[in-house]
Amino acid sequence: MIYKKLPQWFLLILPAIIILAAVILIPLLFSLYSSFTSYRLTRPDTLFNWIGTFNYEKAVKSGVFWAAFGRTILFLTIALNLEMFLGLGLALLVSRVTRGQRMLRTIMMFPMMFSPVLVGFQFKFIFNDNVGLVNNALQSLGLSNSAIPWLVDEKLAMFSIIFAEVWMSTSVFAILILAGLFSIPQDPQEAAKVDGCTPWQSFRHITLPFIMPFIFIAMAIRSLDVARAYDIVQVMTNGGPARRTEILWTLIGRTGYVDAKMGYANAMGYVSIFLAIFFTIYFFKKLNAARVELGMAR
Amino acid sequence: MNINRLSKLKSFFLKVSHHVTLFIAMSIICIPGLWIVLNSFRPTVDIMAKPPVWVPRGLNLDNYRAMFGGAGEGGVPVMQYFTNSLIISCTSTIIALFVGMAGGYAFARFRFKGKNAIFVGLLLTRAVPGVALSLPLFIVMAKTGIIDTHFGLILVYVAMNVPFTIWLIDGFFRQIPPDLAEAAEIDGCTRWQAFWKVEFPVAKAGVASAGIFAFLTSWNEYALASQLTRSTFSKTMPVGLRDFTSEFTINWGGMCALAVLLIIPALILTFIVQKHLISGLTFGGVKG
Amino acid sequence: MKKSLIQLLLSASTCLAMMATSPVLAGDYEGVTIDAKLIGGQQYEGLYALISNWESATGAKVNIVSKKNHFELDREFKSDIAAGTTDWCVGSNHSSFAPQYPSLYTDMSPYNNADQLAGFIPAMIKSSTIGGRLVMLPRAQFDVSVLYYQVSLYEDASNQSAYKAKFGVDLAPPITLNEFKQQAIFFADPPNFYGTQYAGKDEGAAGRFYEMVVANGGAMFNADFTPAFNSDAGRESLQWFVDLYEAGAVPPGTTSYLWDELGAGFASGTIGINLDWPGWSGYFNDPEASKASGNVGITVQPMGSAGIHTGWSGFHGFSVTEDCANKEAAASLVTFLTSEASQIAESAGGSLPTRSSVWDVVVAAADGDEYRTMALNAFKEGAKHAFAVPQTEYWIEATNLIFPELQAAILGDKTVDEALQDASDAVDEMMQENGVY
Repeated sequence: MIYKKLPQWFLLILPAIIILAAVILIPLLFSLYSSFTSYRLTRPDTLFNWIGTFNYEKAVKSGVFWAAFGRTILFLTIALNLEMFLGLGLALLVSRVTRGQRMLRTIMMFPMMFSPVLVGFQFKFIFNDNVGLVNNALQSLGLSNSAIPWLVDEKLAMFSIIFAEVWMSTSVFAILILAGLFSIPQDPQEAAKVDGCTPWQSFRHITLPFIMPFIFIAMAIRSLDVARAYDIVQVMTNGGPARRTEILWTLIGRTGYVDAKMGYANAMGYVSIFLAIFFTIYFFKKLNAARVELGMAR
Repeated sequence: MNINRLSKLKSFFLKVSHHVTLFIAMSIICIPGLWIVLNSFRPTVDIMAKPPVWVPRGLNLDNYRAMFGGAGEGGVPVMQYFTNSLIISCTSTIIALFVGMAGGYAFARFRFKGKNAIFVGLLLTRAVPGVALSLPLFIVMAKTGIIDTHFGLILVYVAMNVPFTIWLIDGFFRQIPPDLAEAAEIDGCTRWQAFWKVEFPVAKAGVASAGIFAFLTSWNEYALASQLTRSTFSKTMPVGLRDFTSEFTINWGGMCALAVLLIIPALILTFIVQKHLISGLTFGGVKG
Repeated sequence: MKKSLIQLLLSASTCLAMMATSPVLAGDYEGVTIDAKLIGGQQYEGLYALISNWESATGAKVNIVSKKNHFELDREFKSDIAAGTTDWCVGSNHSSFAPQYPSLYTDMSPYNNADQLAGFIPAMIKSSTIGGRLVMLPRAQFDVSVLYYQVSLYEDASNQSAYKAKFGVDLAPPITLNEFKQQAIFFADPPNFYGTQYAGKDEGAAGRFYEMVVANGGAMFNADFTPAFNSDAGRESLQWFVDLYEAGAVPPGTTSYLWDELGAGFASGTIGINLDWPGWSGYFNDPEASKASGNVGITVQPMGSAGIHTGWSGFHGFSVTEDCANKEAAASLVTFLTSEASQIAESAGGSLPTRSSVWDVVVAAADGDEYRTMALNAFKEGAKHAFAVPQTEYWIEATNLIFPELQAAILGDKTVDEALQDASDAVDEMMQENGVY
């Protein structure tokens, strides 16, 4: 009857802890260990070849790694901010609609239903320079008479993968911000109108503070699973050409599986995990601050 | 009078520009998706045509017919994939909801040491990128023999969804004044009964919104599934998309047809629960 | 064409009927199940339909556990090795990938005597033997790139006179890589028509570069596997890619193209000349699928400045794992899949056999079909110049270090010298790290 002695709260979160330990923690410990070895997939015995921090030193000294690191941060920053602003705009647009809103909300969530790997294939084809939808449309409309290399040009390639990611994930922001808009009490807004506030003023001083926590929640959620963008980038460009779209995840995936250098890949993987954790905690802090401002502190 | 007319004109323009912007936004959202749907009915020659074929012609069900056909005709075991996806996504969503409800309730109703740290710790497990997790996970699963099984993938998806579920549901239980349950307990209910009779119905919308997020995540996941499934016995739909890429070619029409089958269930489900989703989210996460 | 195909299938099936009673397959494997991981895709499926014949002859069952392309299979094999889940029996293999799995596959020579192996083209058996072990048997999927071109370009009178006026020679399909480049630039009219195109990423890009280096008299590696491509031959080869790109003679997206995009490109009729695989020959001339049909010429691939033809080649095969429970039965399946009869049946689909005797059958079957005969002559000539990838476990890893640098030079991020220096340094470091030298 040991379980009786355990506090109730512990019993309640125990299933969650067990599952997360089994599925996430144990594999992570394994990969932490292997990041200190010269582990090659094709030579299982190398798992026991301890080489200390060699892999980490190699990563830190590698220009390719840092370029991918910087590009990942750039990618995340641009994508998350764009998604936020577009999501906010979309939510505002939809919230003003009086008729057919249910339909519009479903359409708004349409991209959420697409598997990231499908989004990758879809935009790889849409941005194809020879037979892609975008170039075909531009050429047919007479706006361009050359084959624009969307997935090759340095800036356009980053633009294309960011576009795909933004297309897929803006819905998450929009739906959460829309929820926030609905939760705003009507009185202050009416009062503001009577007081002669401009729409911008009432948005800035009443609406925005109210939906801020929702924005940060959305940010936190998105930064938690932003690594899903790996599927998109892997399919669309796989980091190429000439590493112009190489982000940490594609670099890790190729090093680990194609080059079979799992030890090195796991060392880089840990860096990307810390990156994700940093982003999440950052938005978490912001979220809590916003909650405090609204008197909703936990 | 003049001012009146001006403001009328202004509001008319505002209205028009609102509708135009809305239309453009919705088009950008819809076109890439609808383009997939359209292509699933077109022959590959038309999809790849240069100069492009703008007015659809020769629409047919060939891609669907081929997909459901035999091995030699470009068929893939769609029904098997579909069933796998359905079993795996539904089961893992339901389990994640129960685990999440238990956890969320604990965080909302009990005070204990290190609560915040544990909470953030649980959440951060979601931040581990799939590509960094897939190989160690694969090795652990291979050693325990649950590779290429429904069970293995269900376990993984539960773990993926639990942190977010706990978070959302925790927010909901916080909304409900503890007195409510206490009153029920005084009326002779056990804590268990009080939970199901009083607290659960209020939190239902939150559970629904957590559920839809969990379902969509498992339904669409690819990076881990591609590593942890091997045969048709456990392959899911997103992994099945790869069946249309062979050594040298990509069968676009076929892939689009499978994609349509992939989207439809998610679309139906979302349409049904989207009302709860909005009201769920309105209450939930924030006020925690 | 149709008729000969039927004849071929008929002869194949009679052969199979004979084989069922032949001593090779006489082993009784009643109740044995062979798990197989095979390459998937339309052009490979035909052979798998024959597996049921082997099943009924031996009483064994074949269970195909996964069917993917080789890049996906490669990932799967590697994670299998890591997890120790290698007790499935038969796997698809490829000459370019095979050296990577030193411990996965068993030596097939105990199951095949010299007579049985004599039927294969000797070079294939040589490339299938890694570290003295015969790790795979080749199926009828031999690949060496030959030159495809649009006939009308060369027959066009104004093209002929303009070319003659400009270069002082008659316009004819290119014999050297320099002519190839010159003509590609001459034909190009972007964005509607491009002189040529090339595989611009992954192993494809590195492989094309590799064959050019050889054709220009260089080598990828020295005997001890130190990188040797940072040489005059290497510079000449990379410059060739750069010049074509800069002149706009290739589609601007070519650095993101691989085989499927390239095939679709030539079939769209917007590419003049093209180095590509034999497997495309039927597709390019199929009026349903290709705008170039009826206008396709095929000839032997050009040669480089050293007088050597390009000829990066590879072939598919089957291997048996070391951990297979019943290696004898698995080897019997592989023998069946690579047998003369199976190769006759498979090459009826258009792919190239790896047995000398089957070549004769294929050529005979093409009699009267002008296009197919031209294609086969080109392939036969091309195959004479074929050479495999360097036999190192680290070839694929090396290509992953080389191709981004090639792209950087092609796109103008780096000069040719810088790119080759960086690639060479990276490969050198990788080889040292892996203890090759």
